Order: sequence, then C-alpha cells, then structure tokens
Amino acid sequence: MLSTTERTDMTENPSTHQHPHQRLIVIGAGFAGLGMGIQLKRRGEDDFVILERADDVGGTWRDNTYPGAACDVPSHLYSFSFRPNPDWSRMYPPGWEIQQYMRDCAEQEGLMPHLHLNTNMEDASWDEGRGIWRVRTNRGVFTADYLVTGTGHLADEHFPDIPGLDGFTGHRFHSARWDHGVDLAGQRIGVVGTGASAIQVIPELAKTASELVVFQRTPAYVIPRRERTFTDGERRLFRRDPQSMRDLRSELFWGGENNYAQRRAIPQFLDAAKAEALSHLASQVTDPELREKLTPRYEPGCKRVLISNAYYPALTAPVTTVETSALSRLDGGRAVAASGAEYELDAVVFATGFEATEPPFAEVVHGRGGLNLSEHWQQGMQAYDSISVAGFPNLFIINGPNTSLGHNSIVYIIEAQVEYILGALDHARAERFQVMEPTREAEDAYVERIQRNAAGTVWIDGGCKSWYVDQRSGKLTLIWPDFGYAFRDENARFSPEGYELTRAELVSAG
Amino acid sequence: MLTEDVFRSRTLTVDGTAVTYYDSQDTKGRDEMLVLVHGTSGSTRAHFGFLYPILAAKQRVVSVDWAQPEGLAGPLELDHLVRQVTAVVGHVRTGQKVVLLGYSLGAVVTAVVAARHPELVNRLILVSGWIKTDLQQILRNDVYRALRALPDDSALREYNTFCAFGGPFLAGKTLADMQPGMDAAQFTDFGDLQMDLNRRIDIRSEAEEIRVPTLITGGTHDQMVPFRHQKDLFGAIADSRLAEIPTGHAVVFERPSELSHHIQVFMDDPSRHPTGTAIPVPAP
Repeated sequence: MLSTTERTDMTENPSTHQHPHQRLIVIGAGFAGLGMGIQLKRRGEDDFVILERADDVGGTWRDNTYPGAACDVPSHLYSFSFRPNPDWSRMYPPGWEIQQYMRDCAEQEGLMPHLHLNTNMEDASWDEGRGIWRVRTNRGVFTADYLVTGTGHLADEHFPDIPGLDGFTGHRFHSARWDHGVDLAGQRIGVVGTGASAIQVIPELAKTASELVVFQRTPAYVIPRRERTFTDGERRLFRRDPQSMRDLRSELFWGGENNYAQRRAIPQFLDAAKAEALSHLASQVTDPELREKLTPRYEPGCKRVLISNAYYPALTAPVTTVETSALSRLDGGRAVAASGAEYELDAVVFATGFEATEPPFAEVVHGRGGLNLSEHWQQGMQAYDSISVAGFPNLFIINGPNTSLGHNSIVYIIEAQVEYILGALDHARAERFQVMEPTREAEDAYVERIQRNAAGTVWIDGGCKSWYVDQRSGKLTLIWPDFGYAFRDENARFSPEGYELTRAELVSAG
Repeated sequence: MLTEDVFRSRTLTVDGTAVTYYDSQDTKGRDEMLVLVHGTSGSTRAHFGFLYPILAAKQRVVSVDWAQPEGLAGPLELDHLVRQVTAVVGHVRTGQKVVLLGYSLGAVVTAVVAARHPELVNRLILVSGWIKTDLQQILRNDVYRALRALPDDSALREYNTFCAFGGPFLAGKTLADMQPGMDAAQFTDFGDLQMDLNRRIDIRSEAEEIRVPTLITGGTHDQMVPFRHQKDLFGAIADSRLAEIPTGHAVVFERPSELSHHIQVFMDDPSRHPTGTAIPVPAP
C-alpha cells in the first residue's frame, strides 16, 4: 500500500521519519476508523491519516477467521447506513463477507492514500506547547491537531493465565488468531469458553474432531438464529429500489430496539426472553443431565444472549464432552479442569474473549502533563459524552466507554460518534478554537447519570460476572445502558457545553 | 436489584365509578410527569405493556384504565371518559401541569381534556388519534359489528388482527407468531360501547382550541385510523408537530421503541422540532 519512495525513506530511518502534519490522526481501520475516514473524504477533507497496526483493514473481521465466524447482528444493520450493500448473501453475514465489505469501503471511498498499514501506535502524547498530538509508530512520527481512536472492544485477545500453557505439547491458539496451518480433523480438541466465538466454532469443530471437550464456567442463554439467504430477486430489488433496503434496515433496527425492554429487566419481557431461550434448549437437548448443565442461573442479557441453531446439537454429539468447570492447568498433553477431571488433548482453542474493560491502547496515550490514560482509568474507563476525556485535549475515542449495546448494532453507535466529531471539528473551525477538552465536572456528571440509569438493568443486577462491568469498581463501563436511539439523541450532536475551549493565539502565547 | 414491577394499581372513584390507574411514583429527578390513556377495548397492561415501564425509567408515569360508568343507561359518550381522565390527572398531579398522552380513542379523549383544561396540561401527545370519523371507519366498524354478532368469534379475531397491524409487519410474521395476541384479544360489552362511540367522534372545534405544544404521531400503514387523520390533527392543532411511524394502528406492539423515541425527545427537548414540523422519519 505504501509508495516506493516512502518505502525507501523508511528503510533509511523507519521509526524517526517525520510525516507531514495533519488535522487528524485516526487509529485503527475497522468500522470506526473507516467510518470516520469516509465521512471526512465525503466532505472533501484530505488532511488526515489512518494508522493501522495490521496488514489490512477490517478490524475484528480481519482477525477473526475461525471456522464458522459470523456476525450475530443482521448484515443490513451491521454496515454503514450511508453505504448500504444490496449484495449481502444472508441475514447474518459470515465474517469474510463483512471483511470484503470493509475492503470495498476503503478502496471505493478513496481511503487507500490515507491508510498506513503495518503501522503500530507505540506512543501518543499531547504536546502542550504546540497544542498538537504526536504519535510515535514503528514507521515514523505523525503529528496532528486531533487524535481519534477507533481501536474497538474486540481488538486484543484475552489469554487466561493458565499454568503449564507454555509446556503444552499440543497446538494452542486463540480463536481470534486462528492457526490455519493446523489440521484439526481427527484430533482431540479442547475449547475454553462458551461465549459468542465459542458457540460458533464448536459446531464446526464437532464435525471433524475425534473428541471435543468444552470447558464451560458459565452457560450462555442461546436463542434460535433466524437465518436465511437473500434470493437473487431480493438482491436485485435492493439494487433497483434502494428504499426497500433502507426499510429492511429500519425494521431490523427497531426490532432490535424493542428488545431493550429485556435488558431494562421489565419483568414481562425478561420472562419472555428467558422462556424463548429455555424452550430452545429444551427442544434441542433432551438429556436432562446435559440440559441442567446448560441452564443459566442468571438473567438473560447479563452476559451477551447468543444466537445459534447448531450449538446445542454440537454439544449433544457423541464426540463432545461438556466440562462444567474452568480449565485450571495444562500438563504436557493433558488438560486439567478445576473439577479435577483430566483430558488428553491434541489441541486447545482459547475462545476466551478480549481485553475490553482495560483497553491496551490506553497504556500508550498520554495527555496533559504526561498523564497516562490507562492510569487515569484505574477505576474503570469513562468519558464525557462517551467520547472525550478531561486531561486529554483534542482526543476523541470512538467505541470507547459506555458505547456497546447488548441489543443492537455497534455500527449505529459509531456513526453517531463520527457525526459528533465532525460537529466538534466544524465548531472549532468556525470559532477558531484550537484546543477543546471536557471539564472534569462535566465528565463526572455524565458518567454519574449513566451509572444511575444503569441501575436495575440486567448488566448491573442480572446476577452474573461479565466483561461489561469493570471488576475494579463494579461500574458498568462498556455498555450504554439505554436504547441505541437514546445514544444518538443525546450524543450525536456536538455541543460546546461541558468543554473548555481555547483559541489558537492563547495556546501559542502560553 | 432488578427493575421493579411498576404495575401497581390504585383506584379513584369518579362519578360513582371506580377507575383504576397505575403510578410509577419515582420522579427520576424530574418535575414533569406523564399521564397515559389507552385506546378502544384496551388497558394499561394491554396497550402500554412496553411504554409504561419503559417511560417510567425516565420520569414518573401514570396510566389510566377507563371504566364503564356505573348505571350507564344510554350510549357511552366521550364526556364520560373525559371526566374520568380529568379526575385522575387532577388527583395525581402535584401542583405541576402534566404531559398527557393518548392512544387511538385515548388520543381523542386527551385532546378534549387538553382543550377544556389548559390548567392541567403542559403538553399533549396524540398517538394514532383522529378528529372526525369518516366513512372508511364507519364501514370497518360495520364489519366489526357483524362479526361480533356471530356465535363463533374466530373470524372477528382474524379481522381484528388484519385491521390492527400494518401490512409490512404482518408480511414478516407467521400465524403462529400472531396467534397468542389473537387469542388474548378481549371482546366485552364495554368494548362494544367504545366501538359505538368511535362512530360518532367529531372533535374539530375542540382541536382548534388546543394551545399547548402537541406531538402527533401515526402509522403509515394504519387501516383503522388512516394516516390522513394525523394530517387533519396536524392542521387543526395550532402548536403541533407530526411524526410518521411506518407501522399499522398497533404501533404499540409493532415498533413501541420508535414511538418511545419520539415521546422521550418531546419530553426532554420539546422545542427540538418547531411548531409545524413534519419530523423526518429516523433513518437508522
């Protein structure tokens, strides 16, 4: 992707190369980074770069290539509203199709010249004297007026600290770093975890494994996957009548929003959700002992409600054993469960999730006075309007604290945040502000209101331990505990209220 | 603790008739309260199973179940229901005026309350209401009557579902999806009295008297109260704005979340959409 001349420069002095100053640096080329870039391009703005540590765009969908990887949000909703795709093959898109969609976005929207691939942010520091961000990477130093992070919640895999991991004689890898060089057919395989990735990969592994052991700490609520392919005729209609595509998206969105009543724990809707999942379990698992093992003891939605028609049947397959305790250690070729049970395994797949509550990107971001974002977030991450942080001027975090939905598409939230940033940039330009930073009071009041609103929801009071809640403070730091529309109503339009804004002349004078 | 069940009923006697209402009580730190009034043959539980508890998460909400007047000899009149709603609003409010929301026949009732009692009402939200019954509605009402007279109510249940839900919504469902709702529909003498009242609605003069800021919403695919009625209300009420939702009459079942979006914006930021605005349909 890099031009030949640039490549020559880099070989000479790759890490100290000073790139031309930009208005914006965007970190990450997943839905957040691409969405930001597309909207800038469409406004005719060219003074930005997108830094991506990997060798391709796509984020989560580039990384997660495990067998069966697919999205559990419908395709027509899990895509940009301003770039609908009439060609989605199915209601729930396979991962590779989303990845292709994102490549098309980057290429067709003219983002390639702005993209710096294989470029890892090693440090980002606010230069108080000049009022700019300085981002050090393995491919040189970038500076800009604004820093926008779009690093996602599912970027850095979480590997549990299992004794004996290094000495394990078989194959082992995380579901997000699938080793396609390993042939697992006929092997004895352990899968650690029963979350969203696990329930997709387990049915695929059960097809060819000689033995499959599923290490389950907590069973998930699983509901039917209302899957179907779009016919040629439907896809032709989407092209001929784009409004029909928007109507479908709208129907899917509001259908998802209706489910928020379950997360709010309105008794009749919570009961209906539980009944739907438990009847799905009863219809697919007849063995009472196994059914008991798979019955959750917390409220649906406290952990993500999963959709699958193939998961339970895979657990009832003759090759499969459900171990209802955690993997506690590995010993040569043996896996030992917390229950004491032991299994001889040829491979272990860790479907153990991601570092979401303590995002690693924060470790390298430094604001005023060298303040480290990760240390600043010791008691859990928080941001004003779910996007900006006191002490970190001109920083906007897309898909950061209190932005995830348990019931609808994250792309909707990302679009709202991109709109907010564009509003902030416009305001700064029109009023000649150079530095914008939320006040600590505004940030605290915003977060306090969110925590108050979260009370009574299944995330806080649903009786489970989940990655939505920061275990250090007990605060709901990942989830936006309200309707998706409420996020857009409250957080899509930038308002200078809550910000301290400084004009350019004052920055240079100071 | 998980969200509490807010369906705690209270009773107020109005004109010798016991009227049930529900009160979520918790103000959520807001001065303003919202009072809901259901539609024909409905109740808080039947029509506001979603809206009442969801809106109660953001502000105090009261919801009125109107009742058949004791000793009613003649037909049910709009005044009977207007007096019940007015009495409950007067009883529950704490000095402040309330925001009043009515759905379907409840919208007709609340429009009249707002016209007659500006001292009680701060703002008005009319969901799928109408201003004057027209021939399309009379003919539908005739078919309802004819089916209601049959000993077997299965055709009535199907007809009711057919009329209440939007075509696009039904097209995406199976009969099995709809059956529980069809079976749950209640047909009572009091319901028949309300259906009879529906034939005689004409609140054109009251609508012209309404001065409070009003949000009007209605369904694109409504076959019981076709969308043109929303435009009539939009024209008749001085300080109104209009939101279209792509559902049938049963918006409270089809897209209660899209409805709660419009309601909450109007609660939080009444001037978001100025007088006379046709609010753009959200494009998620």
